[in-house]
Amino acid sequence: MELTDREMNHLLHALLDLGETMLISGAEINRVEDTLIRLGMAYGARKMNVFVITSSIVITMAFPEELEVTQTRRILDCAGNDFTRLEQLNHLSRTCCREQYSVAEFQQKIDEIRNEPVSDWPLFTGSMLGTFSFAIFFGGTVWDGIIAAGFAVAICFLQKYMRRICPNTMVFNLLTAFLIGLGITLLAGAVPGLHSDKIMIGDIMLLIPGIAMTNAIRDVLVGDTISGAMRLIESLLWAGSLACGFMISMWILGGAVR
Amino acid sequence: MTVSEIILQLVMAFAGSVGFTILFRLRRQLIIPASLGGCLSWGIYLLAHLHYNIFFACLIASAFAALYSELLARIRKAPVTLFFISAVIPLIPGSTLYYTMSYAVQRNWEKAGEYGNMTLQYAFAIAVGISLIWALFSMRQKIRKGDDMKMDKKDRT
Repeated sequence: MELTDREMNHLLHALLDLGETMLISGAEINRVEDTLIRLGMAYGARKMNVFVITSSIVITMAFPEELEVTQTRRILDCAGNDFTRLEQLNHLSRTCCREQYSVAEFQQKIDEIRNEPVSDWPLFTGSMLGTFSFAIFFGGTVWDGIIAAGFAVAICFLQKYMRRICPNTMVFNLLTAFLIGLGITLLAGAVPGLHSDKIMIGDIMLLIPGIAMTNAIRDVLVGDTISGAMRLIESLLWAGSLACGFMISMWILGGAVR
Repeated sequence: MTVSEIILQLVMAFAGSVGFTILFRLRRQLIIPASLGGCLSWGIYLLAHLHYNIFFACLIASAFAALYSELLARIRKAPVTLFFISAVIPLIPGSTLYYTMSYAVQRNWEKAGEYGNMTLQYAFAIAVGISLIWALFSMRQKIRKGDDMKMDKKDRT
């Protein structure tokens, strides 16, 4: 496919949009790199130089006749998981490699996926079911599970409204853990028969960056050392701030609450 | 552990995985097979824990989770991450992390150290288990695609 200069620029922009959305929907680093390379080659690049880390994407496309185009994209928030979107993007890039959309059409299809509105009910029902089950899974009673699900709703609201005003994820985790810890300890102290530890464990499962951590270690072992190390340090800091938040709430309320 | 406790744990592992697949907006048709992975890998962990320490038991279980999600991804033609996360979630050491913090607050350093050590063992075992399987699968893929790669190189030079 012959592309004009303008179209080359637009193509790179579309590729960066695609890569960015894949990253923030929870794709692994080498999946993003692999997809971008394939797409670039399908659009007639002679060579694709793609460099992806969790905070930035750099693409240099080398076309025939010594023509090279570079664009970069800074990724600010890369900690989400949206599997519907990820699957749609995966599907789009596959069909695009096969059917060769025009650049404008390709961009339009990416925008459709990016701008699709997401409803809140998966966030709430998923969090509630997850915390309820894991509170019981780790040895709590049904009541512990129900209370954990109640606090999960609080966490969802915090994620929806407080996250925006927090400077970063560390501060957000610290504050959330502190508030939730405070609430659970107070409630469990007032109502006999509740186990504050099981309720908290259920809610920790929602906040713990366990997935980021396993992804990080995997990235390192696969060879994406920079991304892996970045994500590992990030997730350790998140887990640390989570622990600090819970600890502070326990300290304030007298320490030995189990 | 009694049989009824084990059954309760397996059911809750399944329900918890379903919760997380909903939270991460997994396509509805894939929720049940993906969550079954969480239930099965916890079952494997419990079985393995009868003979091995927690590190090896967790390693075996996470290797199973990775294998299960790789196979399911191939059958359902979808990215592996989709299935892997729900399969591995019951293994994530949320409870030991909590007790580490709780004992640290009570200044019971011996217990805190013990639980902290366990948390690290779980995390490391999960990582090693999945990496083993992923390394095997990527090698297999490269062997199969060997011919394509040669052609790619010819095109590029």
